Amino acid sequence: MSAAIESEPTFVDKFPDEARVVRAAFMSSFFALLLGAIFGIIQTLHRTDVARIIPSTDYYTVLTAHGVFMVISFTIFFLVGLFTWALTRSLDRPLLNIKITWTWYGLMAAGMTLTGISILAGFVDSIDMSADVLYTFYAPLQAHPLFYAGLTVFIVGTWIAGADWFRTFLAWRSEHPDERIPLQTFMVLTTMTMWYIASSAVAASVLLFLLPWSLGFIDQVNPTLTRTLFWFFGHPVVYFWLMPAYMLWYTVLPKIAGGRLFSDPLARVVFVLFVLLSTPVGIHHQYLDPGIAEGFKFISMTNTMFLLLPSLLTAFTVVASVEYGARQRGGTGLLGWLTNLPWRKPEFTGMMLAGLMFAAGGFSGMVNAGMNINYLIHNTLWVPGHFHLTVGTAVALTMMAGTYWIWPQISNKPIFSSQIGLFQVVLWFIGMALMSNAMHAQGLLGVPRRTAEPEYSGFDYPTMFGGFEELNIQIAIGGTLLFVSTILFLGNLALTMGNPTVSGLAEPLPSPVSGAEDAPKVLDNLRLWVGIALTLVVLAYALPIAAIINRGGLLGPGVGTYPVWVAPLFDALADAATPLLAAITDASGSLLEVVR
Amino acid sequence: MHIHAYEKLWLALSIVLILALIGTVTYGAVGPGVAMVADSQSTVDPGALDEDDRFSEPRVEQVGENEYEAYVVAYQFGFEPTPIVVPANSTVTLHITSRDVIHGFGVAGTSANAMAVPGEVSEITVETDEPTEYGIVCNEYCGAGHHVMEGKINVVSQSEFEDRGGDSE
Amino acid sequence: MGQSEAVNAPTDDVGGEGEEFDPIGTLTLIGIYFAILVLAWVYIYFVEFLGRDLVVVG
Repeated sequence: MSAAIESEPTFVDKFPDEARVVRAAFMSSFFALLLGAIFGIIQTLHRTDVARIIPSTDYYTVLTAHGVFMVISFTIFFLVGLFTWALTRSLDRPLLNIKITWTWYGLMAAGMTLTGISILAGFVDSIDMSADVLYTFYAPLQAHPLFYAGLTVFIVGTWIAGADWFRTFLAWRSEHPDERIPLQTFMVLTTMTMWYIASSAVAASVLLFLLPWSLGFIDQVNPTLTRTLFWFFGHPVVYFWLMPAYMLWYTVLPKIAGGRLFSDPLARVVFVLFVLLSTPVGIHHQYLDPGIAEGFKFISMTNTMFLLLPSLLTAFTVVASVEYGARQRGGTGLLGWLTNLPWRKPEFTGMMLAGLMFAAGGFSGMVNAGMNINYLIHNTLWVPGHFHLTVGTAVALTMMAGTYWIWPQISNKPIFSSQIGLFQVVLWFIGMALMSNAMHAQGLLGVPRRTAEPEYSGFDYPTMFGGFEELNIQIAIGGTLLFVSTILFLGNLALTMGNPTVSGLAEPLPSPVSGAEDAPKVLDNLRLWVGIALTLVVLAYALPIAAIINRGGLLGPGVGTYPVWVAPLFDALADAATPLLAAITDASGSLLEVVR
Repeated sequence: MHIHAYEKLWLALSIVLILALIGTVTYGAVGPGVAMVADSQSTVDPGALDEDDRFSEPRVEQVGENEYEAYVVAYQFGFEPTPIVVPANSTVTLHITSRDVIHGFGVAGTSANAMAVPGEVSEITVETDEPTEYGIVCNEYCGAGHHVMEGKINVVSQSEFEDRGGDSE
Repeated sequence: MGQSEAVNAPTDDVGGEGEEFDPIGTLTLIGIYFAILVLAWVYIYFVEFLGRDLVVVG
């Protein structure tokens, strides 16, 4: 028996070249996670006024770095690593040309380095460079050209990655003309299809408007247009982060639970729904924007609400797969089977806790998506409270948990300590429960997101679910636990890399209970889904974008340019603004007294 | 394609939930009459607000019995007028724009919230109740001094409002 | 089986049981989730949102 297991090759045994790429992508991802975590803890303690080690004007440099490194570098580098593994593994064939693979990895790394430099230069006054425009880079705030150029190179890298995977798939197809697309490959291809559609808009925005504008070739841009193009990309990108987590929940979690995927066909349906509905929804980030008719906002809401469907279906299918595993392990009763699960394994517990938090995030997401209830929470701390449950836990914690399972497969090195891993994932859950819950509550008090100092001189927040100060303490404690959890994860992984390589770590993935042969063939017809997806995008966006251009012009209604990278001027302005505002408030106060 | 009966049930429940969510929002629009910021106002040249009838003089003005209009300009890093003084128990339509970058206009602890976008005008109508004071925060990052950008809405009694000449200037 | 998806391969020994499997525990859990979602939504929409000052009515 043990001899049989030892003879089973791991991924790195079968595909050493691809495994090297996967490891490189994961290393880039985790380096970004480290940077993002450092900026995260600085930000948490600053905002809650527990420890302010930077001036408040630098808070926005920290915030830009936290956002970009976490949701662009950490998530997407992990994605390309995971997808390279999944496609190669499920097609059981190497990539066509590993040099192309290294090329896209190199482009992504180079692009992110350029963008990272432009952001971090914001800390150094003597360098005339800054990108304090936050992850959303809304014009007419303007970053240094290097910021936009780096992002472009990075995105081009992901496009070539997609092409690499599609070409490899087509080569496999010619070798296996009659077989169904393996499930993991299906997930890779549908996700990349969505990515091509979504990222086309941000590429257009950067290449046609923002980059030429930052270089001085054009004088102004239309802020509503570039904002709309950002959200055309900005909502589907959240599914780009999420799909690697879904892939792990569908194909790896059931195996760890001791069972098998409940339904392959429904998994395919879910990914097709994401291709169709991820993009024509971005306007739900602009419910409170002027210049966009209410009807367009309603259409966007309807699409967004139907986008709940694939996630609700996923909840059922994944939990049912885990239940199946538990019953295979001897679990009984209505809920008693929950005790028959491998809770001591960090890869299992991490993914389950991530899924639980995603369920909670589903609720706050429903509120975000509700067109008029958006007034209540738009741009309040509720929103980052929400996405720290989704991308910050459903995605991030699943990626960390998944790493505990996948790293031995791509390196032949066993994880240094499962106990530390288990402690780390539970710590993440507790930290995020504290932080996210308090963020939601502060959002309901009206506390804004994205600000260095959320307390104001002119008014106090009302008290509900605990006061502003108590909630700040919860946020600070939660953020600190998350930072410690991240360091434990990275430390555990670093020590794992020091382990000697061993054999016998292979963990093959079982086939589903209801297999691909049960899935209608039409599900594999990617051309059809692309056609419908594009039609929906045109229906949702053609008229709003035409109206925006018609109203404000292609290059904006006389809007100025506000470069954040002329840093000294802005610092002076901000320093002047504080006493000035206080003086104005005092003056108007005394004026009121006089009038009375 | 075989789908388990339980999963079919869940699919049906999910669709009911989605329709109920859309239904609630629709009820909010037609019942209590919650309206969205939309494209009702014409665009404006943010570089020449002083030449615009609406925003040359940020102010509150009476336009009917118990009906008032407020014209608010957001800028790096404040709001004009400040405070926005409006009478109690009245209907106030706020017109909000920006003369530089994108800002937010969030009345803390209430359901009043809108974006202030250069070149565009957000229009929202609210009904005031008893005299009180609300804080306004800029809830969209607008530059290095974003955190000092705040404003105020003072809801004053009808008589106090008239004593002040019916204008916040 | 090997690392490949083995899409058309015959299912192994537990395959037969799969047909019989009724995920009643899953249905229970997800039913509880559904109830929480509905109650939380009603609370936040009608109490927190519509119950506040300065609801936008035009």
